[in-house]
Amino acid sequence: MAPKNKAGIGYIWYRLRMIKTAYGAFWVIAAICLVASLSASQFPLTHYQYYQTSEDLLLGPCASHWMGTDELGRDLLARIIYGSQLSISIGITTAFIAFFIGTIYGAIAGYCGGKIDNLLMRGVDIAYALPDLLVMILIGVLIGRGTSGILIALGLVSWMGTARLVRAQFLQLQHEEFVEAARAAGQSGLIIVLKHLLPNAMGPIIVALTFTVPSAILSESTLSFIGLGLSPPACSWGTLASDGWRSLRGHPHLILFPSFFIFMTVLSFNFLGDGLRDALDPRTRLFNYGKIVQDPEEKAEAEGEKTEPQLASKE
Amino acid sequence: MLSLIFKRILLAIPVLWIVASITFMLVRIVPGGPFEGDKALPPEIVANLKAKYHLDRPVPEQYMLYMQRLTQGDLGLSYKYIGRTVNDILGDAFPISLQLGIAGLLLAVAIGVPLGTVAAVKRGSAADFGAMFMSTAGISVPSFVIGALLIFIFGIWLKILPVALWESWRHMILPAITLAVSPAAYLARLTRASVMEILEKDWVRTARSKGLSGDKTVVKHVLRNALIPIATVLGPLTAILVTGSFVVEYMYAIPGMGRFFITAVGNRDYDLIMGTTLVFAVLLIIANTIVDIVYLILDPRMQVN
Repeated sequence: MAPKNKAGIGYIWYRLRMIKTAYGAFWVIAAICLVASLSASQFPLTHYQYYQTSEDLLLGPCASHWMGTDELGRDLLARIIYGSQLSISIGITTAFIAFFIGTIYGAIAGYCGGKIDNLLMRGVDIAYALPDLLVMILIGVLIGRGTSGILIALGLVSWMGTARLVRAQFLQLQHEEFVEAARAAGQSGLIIVLKHLLPNAMGPIIVALTFTVPSAILSESTLSFIGLGLSPPACSWGTLASDGWRSLRGHPHLILFPSFFIFMTVLSFNFLGDGLRDALDPRTRLFNYGKIVQDPEEKAEAEGEKTEPQLASKE
Repeated sequence: MLSLIFKRILLAIPVLWIVASITFMLVRIVPGGPFEGDKALPPEIVANLKAKYHLDRPVPEQYMLYMQRLTQGDLGLSYKYIGRTVNDILGDAFPISLQLGIAGLLLAVAIGVPLGTVAAVKRGSAADFGAMFMSTAGISVPSFVIGALLIFIFGIWLKILPVALWESWRHMILPAITLAVSPAAYLARLTRASVMEILEKDWVRTARSKGLSGDKTVVKHVLRNALIPIATVLGPLTAILVTGSFVVEYMYAIPGMGRFFITAVGNRDYDLIMGTTLVFAVLLIIANTIVDIVYLILDPRMQVN
């Protein structure tokens, strides 16, 4: 039975579970985050330490080293697990930076409107006029190629989308009756923004943030790959892939495994983002492989109208 | 339309000025200078070199000098490629990047638009699911992974295609595919959403009820209208291609602008960094202007506003 409150988290979760790709992606992300946080709390997930060198250089995947070893004899699985900390935290931190800058910027533009809006949006245009990678390289070189430098660089190129989105939502919501009512009741601007506008714009913002995480992970790995991102001893999936690129000819496993983890994580976040977007919009009919998925109540309504043939329904 | 182009050109000047100023400041705040490389040069030589490139002057004076030359279209001298002007280097590199970019763009459109259309028309089917899975995978896979896979399969394993440099059309195949994957996937997702929206319009139902076959309706009525939002992403698409070209040119050792930019940043080759940044900015502004013009042509209602 679907939860009664159609705006609550329970209902969104209920709808999300019906989208199989998104639901699967959710658990993949949960597993990767679990591994990353266990690794961060020094929990021994493998027999080897990420920095531990051995005599077995450049070994292919085998029983003792599941993903082989690199040119210093370090176990690749241990390094991938260790690298997940940095890759995941970079993705999530960037999303939060984008959320803070983008929401505040967009809220000011959308709420004030007029000249301030125009000025702020031209600022966004200028920020958009430069390719991300170019800005990140310049900022990364400026602040330093440590983790914090990359984080700031990624955050500074990721907020514009959120800002545009929040502004558009605010402009639209401003004319809703409940906002007019709040204003007529004499509530202050800050209260209107925080209590009325922001909560109603939250759905699309969360979806946008879900897409910020994978693009940040991709950007970091791309930067590290071309040698302008993180540098040793920092270890992320991007730096591992970059190391592997040099021995592509003889030892393709060194680039294959880190790339696979980047791909799976980014893919999962993208599926989750797609799923959340559909789950948050009650007008979207949910599709699954070859089927239209509907909850029973909606099905009953739709059957009453007989608008479209129902292929199949779940439950 | 002329007034729009005129307005855009007027607006481009301050944007480019701001971009130039920000980049100018950024490259000079960055620690390390162009002559502090691995080989330590005697201080007298460094002083002479700095004097030659006016780097011994105060930064505001350097800025004025640079801006003066910029207004005459002179992008300055490279410090690393001695005796070559930035105009000269970019003149060589730009056509290569442009060829690669156009090849990638055409390939992306040829794959992405049909894929998205099929997915939308067969909405909810296995074909839709397959197409969407592929395109989500396409935007999720880093271009260096595609590049590494292609190089490994076609260059190292099958040995049928060259994996580096830029000499014949055969050198173009792998880089163009690598560059096209992510924009193709992006286009497929966008086309699907756009076509799906148009398919629900009343006039599509009218066309169908008048007896037009399914395929004909799609091609003649739906696709034309669905292409409007697709044309408008040319701007972001150019940005994707530019970003992609950095990685692709790096992987395949192609002497294009992206590769020059990466080496220029490493060398602190100030004028070359600035020149490349400005060319990229001009490209993006042009792409966005074309989008607006295309929009006007495709949807004449825009003119009223």
